[in-house]
Amino acid sequence: MSATQDSTGIGWRHPHYAELLSRNPDVDFLEVHSENFFADGGVALSILEQGRAQYPVSLHGVGLSLGAAAGLDPWHLEQLVRLVERIDPVRVSDHASFARATLPGGIVHASDLLPIPFTAQALNVMCANVQAVQDRIKRPLMVENLSAYVQWKCLTGEADLAEPDFLNQLARRTGCGLLVDVNNIYVNALNALPRGTQNLPLERCCDWLDAIDPGAVGELHLAGHSRISDEYGDIVIDDHGSQVCAPVWQLYAHAHARFGAVPTLIEWDTDIPALDVLLAELALARSHQMRLPHACQVMENPFETRQPQATV
Amino acid sequence: MTGLAAQQQCFLQALFDWPADVAEGRLSEQLAPGALRGIRAYQTNGHVLAQRALAAAYPVIAQLLGGESFDSLARALWHASPPLQGDLARWGAALPDFVRVSPQLSSEPYLADVAHLEWAMHECATARDADPGPGLASLSMLTTRDPQNVCFQLAPGVVALRSVWPMVDIVLAHREGSPDLATAGERIRAQVAQDAVVWRRGFAPQCRIAMPGEFGVLNALLTGDSLAAALDCAPELDFSQWLPQAVQSGLVLGVVDHA
Repeated sequence: MSATQDSTGIGWRHPHYAELLSRNPDVDFLEVHSENFFADGGVALSILEQGRAQYPVSLHGVGLSLGAAAGLDPWHLEQLVRLVERIDPVRVSDHASFARATLPGGIVHASDLLPIPFTAQALNVMCANVQAVQDRIKRPLMVENLSAYVQWKCLTGEADLAEPDFLNQLARRTGCGLLVDVNNIYVNALNALPRGTQNLPLERCCDWLDAIDPGAVGELHLAGHSRISDEYGDIVIDDHGSQVCAPVWQLYAHAHARFGAVPTLIEWDTDIPALDVLLAELALARSHQMRLPHACQVMENPFETRQPQATV
Repeated sequence: MTGLAAQQQCFLQALFDWPADVAEGRLSEQLAPGALRGIRAYQTNGHVLAQRALAAAYPVIAQLLGGESFDSLARALWHASPPLQGDLARWGAALPDFVRVSPQLSSEPYLADVAHLEWAMHECATARDADPGPGLASLSMLTTRDPQNVCFQLAPGVVALRSVWPMVDIVLAHREGSPDLATAGERIRAQVAQDAVVWRRGFAPQCRIAMPGEFGVLNALLTGDSLAAALDCAPELDFSQWLPQAVQSGLVLGVVDHA
C-alpha cells in the first residue's frame, strides 16, 4: 500500500485461489470467510497460509452468532482463536446478527445472518458476546450491519433503538469497531419502500451513515445485490453476485467523506466472475477514493493489527 | 426463557419446522408487516445452502440420485437434522443413516454405504495434517525392534470401512471412471461385498478396495494397538505384500514407538 492510497481489498474465494497466488496482483489486503478455514488441516489452510505470506488477511466471519441469546458456541470461538493465532490477521470481523437458538432437540445453527431486534436486551446480549470474543482473540472485533429481510416489532415494555444508535452503543460499550456495509444499508432502504417509508432510499441511507459515530468505523464493504420477483412478491437480496451499482457508489462517497480513509472491501460471493472483474471493481473503488475528501490521508486504524508489509 | 431467546427460538422454528405454517404464523405476529416475503427468503437461502453443502460432501450420491431428487433429499435432511454448528462443511454426517431408513430410497440399498464412504473421504480432506514424523528410514525399525513395541504412523484421515455392497467400485466409477459404470452396476447386482480404505496423499483424499485382512489391521492400529497386536487381528493379511504398497501409496508414513 502506498502512502497516498486507501487500503482496498477483495474477497478471496475458491475460484481465484491459484490465480491470485500466481499473478500476485496489486491488492492491499485479502478478505476470507473465517469458517472456510476452521478445519484441522488440508489444502484450504495451506492456501490461506500462502496468501498470508503475500498479503495482509482480514478474517470475516459469518457464523459467530453474536446476537444469540443462547450465547456463543465454544467450539466456534475456539476455531476462530486458533485461526487468528495461525494467520495473524489484519482485522477480525463478524455480523450484528444471530443464528443459534435452542429448539426442542438442542441448540441449532441456522447458517444464516438473522436479524436481531434493536432493543436494550439484545444490546446487552451482543455486548456480552462481543466482549467474550475480544477477550479470547486479544484484539478488537469489528461488527457489520446487516441486510435484514424482516424487522422485529417492539416487545411489550421494550423501546427500540435506531440501528445506528444500537451499533454506536455496542462500539462504545465494548470497544469493538464497526464495519459499515454500504450495500446492506441500500438493500434495507429498497426493501423498506413498500412499507411506506417516506424518505427516498439514498436520503434514508445518508441519514443512517450520518448517525454512525465516525470514530468507531474501521472498514467499509461494497458489493452487488439483485431483485427477485416471484409468487411471494418482490424483494432485494444482498447476494454479492454482481457489480456495485451507481447509487451504492454514491453512498460510498458519502461514507468516505464522513468516515475517512478506512479500508474498503469489494465482496463477490455468488456467480463469481473472472478475477479481472474483481480487480476492475477494486480499481474503480480506488478511483472514487482519489476524488473524495480524505484522499491521501491514511490514518491509523485502531481496529487493525499492525503487520509487516508483505514482501512482494 | 427471556423474550429475546423466545423470539430467536420462534425464528429458527419457522426456518426448520416442516411444514412451518404454525411457526411462520407465530413469527409473523412478532415482525413488521410484510414479513412473510422475508421469511421465504431466509427459508429459500437455507435450502440452497443445504443443497450446495451436501453436494460438496456427497458428489457421487448427487450423481446417483440426479438434480431434483438430490436437492429434495438435501432439503429433507436440513429439516430432519439441522446444522448444530456454524461451519456448514461439518453438516451432513447424518446422511448415511437418513438414507438407510428412507422408504423412498429402499430400492437402492447400497446408497447408505456409498454415503458413508463419501463422508469418510470428505472428512479425510480436512483431517489434521501429518506431524513431521520419523520418515520412511524408520521402516528399518521393523527388523530391529519387537513388533509389540512399535506401530505405524498412518496418513491423515485414515479410515477402514466394511460393506456388503461394492461401495468402492461405485464411488470410483463415478469419481474417476474406473471401473466403468457398467462394471460397477454388475457388481451391485451380484452384491459384491467390499471393504474400503480411505487416506490422504498430500492433500488429495484416496480410496481403494482393502486387501484381505487390511480392514482389521487398520482398525486395530487406529485404536492404538501395537503392530504385533494389530497383525494378530488380521491373520489373513499378507504383510509382505501389503507393506510395500502401503508405503508407496502414502498410507504408511513411518514406524514409531508404541506408547
